[in-house]
Amino acid sequence: MFCSAIRNILRNSQNAVITSQIRNLRGQQSAHHEVEVLTSAGITHKQNNKKTEPAESEGSKEVALDFRNREAHVPSFNLAAYVNNSSTLQQFISLGVDLHSIERRKGLGDFVLKLDFEKNVKPYITFLVDQGVSPDDFGRMFTKNPLLFKEDLDDLQTRVEYLKSKRFSDEARQRILTQNPYWLMFSTRRVDRRLGYFQKEFRLSGHDLRLLATREPNAITYNMEHLRKSVFTLKEEMGFNAKELSALVVRKPRLLMIPPDDLVERFSYIHQDMGLPHAQIVQCPELLASREFRLRERHEFLKLLGRAQYDPQKDLYISPKTIVEGNNFYFVRNVAKSELETFDLFLKTR
Amino acid sequence: MALTKVYDAATVFKHMNGILNVYKPAGMKVKHVRNAILSNICKGLNEMEQRKPRKLQENIRLLGTGTAADHVLHNIGEQTDLSDHLLSTGPRYLPRDLICTTVSSLGDHTSGVLLFGINRGAGQSTSIRKNRPVRVYHLIGHLGIATENNIPDSRVTMRSNHRHVSADRISSLAASMQASHQRKMFELCGVDLQTQEAYELACRGLLRPADDSQPVVYGIKLIHFDRPHFTLELHAINETQEYLATLVHDMALDLRTVAHCSQLRCVRHAHFDVTDSLLRHAWHLPGIIKNLRQQRDILRAHPQLLRQQRVELQATE
Repeated sequence: MFCSAIRNILRNSQNAVITSQIRNLRGQQSAHHEVEVLTSAGITHKQNNKKTEPAESEGSKEVALDFRNREAHVPSFNLAAYVNNSSTLQQFISLGVDLHSIERRKGLGDFVLKLDFEKNVKPYITFLVDQGVSPDDFGRMFTKNPLLFKEDLDDLQTRVEYLKSKRFSDEARQRILTQNPYWLMFSTRRVDRRLGYFQKEFRLSGHDLRLLATREPNAITYNMEHLRKSVFTLKEEMGFNAKELSALVVRKPRLLMIPPDDLVERFSYIHQDMGLPHAQIVQCPELLASREFRLRERHEFLKLLGRAQYDPQKDLYISPKTIVEGNNFYFVRNVAKSELETFDLFLKTR
Repeated sequence: MALTKVYDAATVFKHMNGILNVYKPAGMKVKHVRNAILSNICKGLNEMEQRKPRKLQENIRLLGTGTAADHVLHNIGEQTDLSDHLLSTGPRYLPRDLICTTVSSLGDHTSGVLLFGINRGAGQSTSIRKNRPVRVYHLIGHLGIATENNIPDSRVTMRSNHRHVSADRISSLAASMQASHQRKMFELCGVDLQTQEAYELACRGLLRPADDSQPVVYGIKLIHFDRPHFTLELHAINETQEYLATLVHDMALDLRTVAHCSQLRCVRHAHFDVTDSLLRHAWHLPGIIKNLRQQRDILRAHPQLLRQQRVELQATE
C-alpha cells in the first residue's frame, strides 16, 4: 500500500515536470519560468543517467549519436521533446516532415522515434529519387505516410515494376508516387484488383484507365465502400448512362471521392434549377465538383442580370464551365460583366 | 493615426480584439460560421512572419562524439532549440487560442448580421447582449403554401387561394398587430395606456424585457408586396427563428389564407448594419481585421451600446 502510494506521488511529480516542459515548448512563457523548467529537466536527466548506466554504456558503443535509449525513460506527449537529441528527427525536420501532425496519429510517433536515419530512411530516399520524385515533395510525402519505411524495399521495387509493366509513363509514375504516398503501401495484387474494378465498372480503355489513375491517384486507393456508393449515386440516383459515366469519371475522377449526399445536392441544383441536361453536365464536370452555395450564388446573380443563358444555340450564351472558374472578382468582371459592389449587395439580400 | 503595414503575426494577434460583424448565409449553422472564421484567422496568422525558434541554453551538456559529421553537435553550435521549430511544435496559432463568443444566435435558416466578440471583445459582446438591443428583420412570406415548420425545407401541409389578399389588407393587419404588441407591453408593466405614468415610461425610451425568455415585437411593417411574396420589416427583441416563422403563418391565417416564411434576414442588430457586415468571400485575415476596426468605430460613436441606464430594463416582467 505504502509503496504504491509513494510510486504514485513520484509519477505525479514526474508528469508535472513533463507537462511544464511541454508548456515551455509552446513558447509563451516568461524567461523566469523557462529557467526554472530547464533546471528541473536537468535534474530528472541526471536521475535517469544513474538508473540506466549499465544499459547506456553498452548502447553507446554501437550508436554513439543517438540518445533515444536514454530518452526512452522520459515519457513525453510529443516528438518535440526528443528532437534536440535525435539526429533522425533532426534530419526529418530538415526534409520538411511535419512531426507535429505525425504524432497526432496513433502509434506513428513511437514508430518514427525508433527509426534510424542511416539504416531505415536513407535507402528509401535513394529509392524515391531513383523513381524521379523531387526532393521538395519528401516532406509532404513522409508526413502523410511515415509507414512507408516499414515496407520492404524489394516489395516497393516490385510495385513500381508493376506500374511499368502496365505501361505507365515515367511522368505518370512520378506523379502517382508524389500525389498519393499511400499507393506504394498497396500490394501489386490489390492495386491490380482496384485497377481491374475501375476498368470493368466504367468500361475504360487502357489509355483512359492510365489517364484516370494519373489524374487522381488517390481515387484508386480510396475506400472501396465509398467508391461503390459514389458509383451507385452517379449511375442510379442521377441517371448517367454507362458512356456518360465513363466520360465523367475520366474527366473528373475527384467526383468519386466527394460524399454522395453533397453530389446529389449539387446535381439536383444543376439539373433542376439551372436546367442543364445530362449531356451538358458531362461536358463540364467542374460544375459537380464545385460547392452548391457557390453555384447557387453565381447562377442567381446571372439570373438577376438576365444573363443565365446556357443554351449554345441561342444568343448571349454563357458556358457553364466559366461559372465555376476563378474567384468572385474574376467571375463578376469577366462572366457576369458587372461590378463587385453590385454582387456584394446582391449577396446581402440572400 | 497613421496606418502601417504589419508583417508580424504576434502584433496582429495582439490587436485582434473587438466585435466582428459577419454576414451569416442562410442554411449554415452559427457553429459552422464560427469555426470557419476562427480557422481562417489562424490560417492567416500562420502564414505571416512567425517567431523564430528559441535559442538553447548556454551551458547545456554536450553529448556525442564531437566529430564534424555530428548533427547534434552542429545544431547545438547554432544554439537553436529544434524542439521549438515549427515542424515539431505544429502551427503557432490554433483556433482554440482565440476566444470567440456570439452576441446572440441566429437560426439555421436565418441569414444576416451575426456579431462575434473576438478575444477581449468577449466582454463587450456580453454587455451588448445584456443591454438587449433591438434586431431588425426582413421576412419574406410566401402566400398560398403552408409547411410543417413554416420554413421552406420541410413538407407542404396545406395549399390555399390568396387572390383576395392585397397589400392594404396586409398593412392594416400589420399595424393592428403592432398596436396590440405595444399595448401588451404596457399591460405587462401594470400601467394603463391612457395615464401620465405610461407617458413617462414611454419617454424613457424603449420598454425592454428584463430577461431573454419572452419575445417582444416593437414594429411590423409591410415594405414590399409582389404576389405571392410579401416582405415584412420587423423590430424585435428576444425573438427566435421559429417565433418569426410562426408569426408569418399566423398573419396569413388572419388573412384567410396560409403562408410560410421563405426567407428570414437580419438587417440590423443595434447599430451594426448589414451594409458593413463581412460576406463569406471576405472571411480572411485582412478582411476580418478591417471589419473589427469598423465595428470599433461604431462602438465609439455609440457608447450606450456597452453602458446603459438600466431603468427601463426593469420595466416589463
